Amino acid sequence: MSNQAKTRTVEEINQKIRKGDAQVLTAEEMKKLVECSGVEVAFKEVDVVTTGTFGAMCSSGAVVNLGHSDPPIKIEHAWINDVEVCHPGAAVDLFIGATNMSEKQPYEYGGGHVIQDLVSGKEVELRATSYGTDCYPRTSLKTTLTKDDLNQFYLLNFRNCYQRYNCAVNSSDEVIYTYMSKLLPRFRNATFSGAGELNPLMNDPDYETMGMGTRIFLGGGQGYIIGEGTQHSPKNLNGTLMVKGDAKKMSPEFLQGGAFTGYGTSLYVGLGVPIPILNEGLAKKTGIQDKDILTDIIDYSVPRRDRPKFGQVSYKELKSGSIAVNGKKVRVSSLSSLKMAKKVTQTLKSWIDEGAFFLTSPVERLPTTTVFKLMRQTEEIPFVYNVMHQAITCTEDEEIQAIAKRIVTKSVNHIVVVDETGKLKGIVTSWDITRAMAEGKKALADIESHNVVTAKPDEPLEIASKRMAQNNISALPVIDIERKVLGIITSEDVSRLLGR
Amino acid sequence: MGRILIRFNEDQVSEPIASQIIIEYKVPMAILSAHINSKGGEILAEVPDDILEKVVNAFRNRGISVTVPKLIEVDSDKCFSCGSCLALCPVEAISLTEDSTVQFDKEKCVGSTCSVCVDACPARAIKSVKPNNNGTSAIREKKR
Repeated sequence: MSNQAKTRTVEEINQKIRKGDAQVLTAEEMKKLVECSGVEVAFKEVDVVTTGTFGAMCSSGAVVNLGHSDPPIKIEHAWINDVEVCHPGAAVDLFIGATNMSEKQPYEYGGGHVIQDLVSGKEVELRATSYGTDCYPRTSLKTTLTKDDLNQFYLLNFRNCYQRYNCAVNSSDEVIYTYMSKLLPRFRNATFSGAGELNPLMNDPDYETMGMGTRIFLGGGQGYIIGEGTQHSPKNLNGTLMVKGDAKKMSPEFLQGGAFTGYGTSLYVGLGVPIPILNEGLAKKTGIQDKDILTDIIDYSVPRRDRPKFGQVSYKELKSGSIAVNGKKVRVSSLSSLKMAKKVTQTLKSWIDEGAFFLTSPVERLPTTTVFKLMRQTEEIPFVYNVMHQAITCTEDEEIQAIAKRIVTKSVNHIVVVDETGKLKGIVTSWDITRAMAEGKKALADIESHNVVTAKPDEPLEIASKRMAQNNISALPVIDIERKVLGIITSEDVSRLLGR
Repeated sequence: MGRILIRFNEDQVSEPIASQIIIEYKVPMAILSAHINSKGGEILAEVPDDILEKVVNAFRNRGISVTVPKLIEVDSDKCFSCGSCLALCPVEAISLTEDSTVQFDKEKCVGSTCSVCVDACPARAIKSVKPNNNGTSAIREKKR
């Protein structure tokens, strides 16, 4: 290529790799070069930029072909190390899903760990059952296996490498355990995932160089992009990849099982894509920095498809350790490993430098216009706002006598105590009033409960009603994010709806 | 320094026992965490080794339970430095080094009385372990 040329081809780059004079930079190094020397120089000097990520990727798994037993079996159900593996096809093909959990150690050990153990060379136990046919008479099977015993063992992940991901917080009063890990109550922490400026798709957001047939770093071995991943949503920078590779040649360092308390198991996958710098545009795009990559802060305590958002943050802020949510400083940490993502980019770079990895052009690029469709639902489920009604309230300066009267005239069992702005202060029940009479108490403060269990208007009713049962109570004041009382739901509302 | 976990029951919280012992033995006791209400509670404290046994006996003579708290340990072979634990830690005992490696400061960690990080580790690299601190052996012998 002459100095004046404005483009270069993948074939030209591969020639250079063969000769050992291709210029390869990691994504991290490329940012610095673009910032210091500009796009033009970066394009002239750099042939390939290695990108990478290492995170929990739940939609991962492995295809295993066991070879035939004697007598043969057409497996109907199978388990590896007590993790149920799915039998999607003919006799001895299995799919190990990363999120399938062990029947003996649920939440601690699952399909992701089985894949890691196999890749490590460990022996695993296979159990299988079948109904038996004339051609496949065997009805049960038990054996131990290592990866060397398997006929074939492919990693086949249908959604990997999310271009960027949400930042998660919890506005509720209780700890929640999610796929975004442990979220402490009242915004006491935040979590995020993704490598930001190192992410492969972020460095080539128009997918000029990526698609079916792109050779990649996958789990410490070589693999391929086989198309866009499920839920690929390029228009809002949420692209994903579907990938495949020979798991027998992968490394347990870059494929690690993950256990998420209260959620389940997953597989941490190391994935890296080499981006050929074919033109100045790609040099510019691979210069993208964390400060330019924004993501939404999402409230995971609201169990809905559309969860409330608290604005946006950049990956630069996320990686700094603290962000502002509603004007309050919140400590934030990552679920994916930046250290391992960097290691992916460095390893891929060394492979190319050593002439052990050549680039490919995709036979079909990733789509840039697909839209992530929502599920069609033919059955509606009730939400809190469907049954909530006006709460009968009082203020803290009122006398018990007046409150008792209100309970009778309004024919309710719960009076919600509010301040002058309508914010929740406490709750009083008819039982509290009865007790006050019996014990001769006069002041509201003596009988009012301040530790009030509440509901949000857009919660599914089932979740709110479970909360009532768990706390052994019969009503929940419905409040907004500022704790203003919007209404109340009672156990009678729930039974009335169910009885309908 | 030795770490001790002092547990008070419902009948013991009304008296300022910890303060009395601090004054009586002139012990510079560092309180790492304390959760006490009218129903009882516990204090996690650090006491200099030379006076540790005396302080433990002083609490025990007043009928207070004193034990050695379990420590938190990180298995660096299992940890892949995701950082899930980082923002959860109330005493900032976990940090990231320059090269994004998760670093755990045993000195800052308040031990198993907190444990907020343990079930958040996807690699299950964080564990509560019994201490083998020789300065506290006298305490363990007396444990039932």
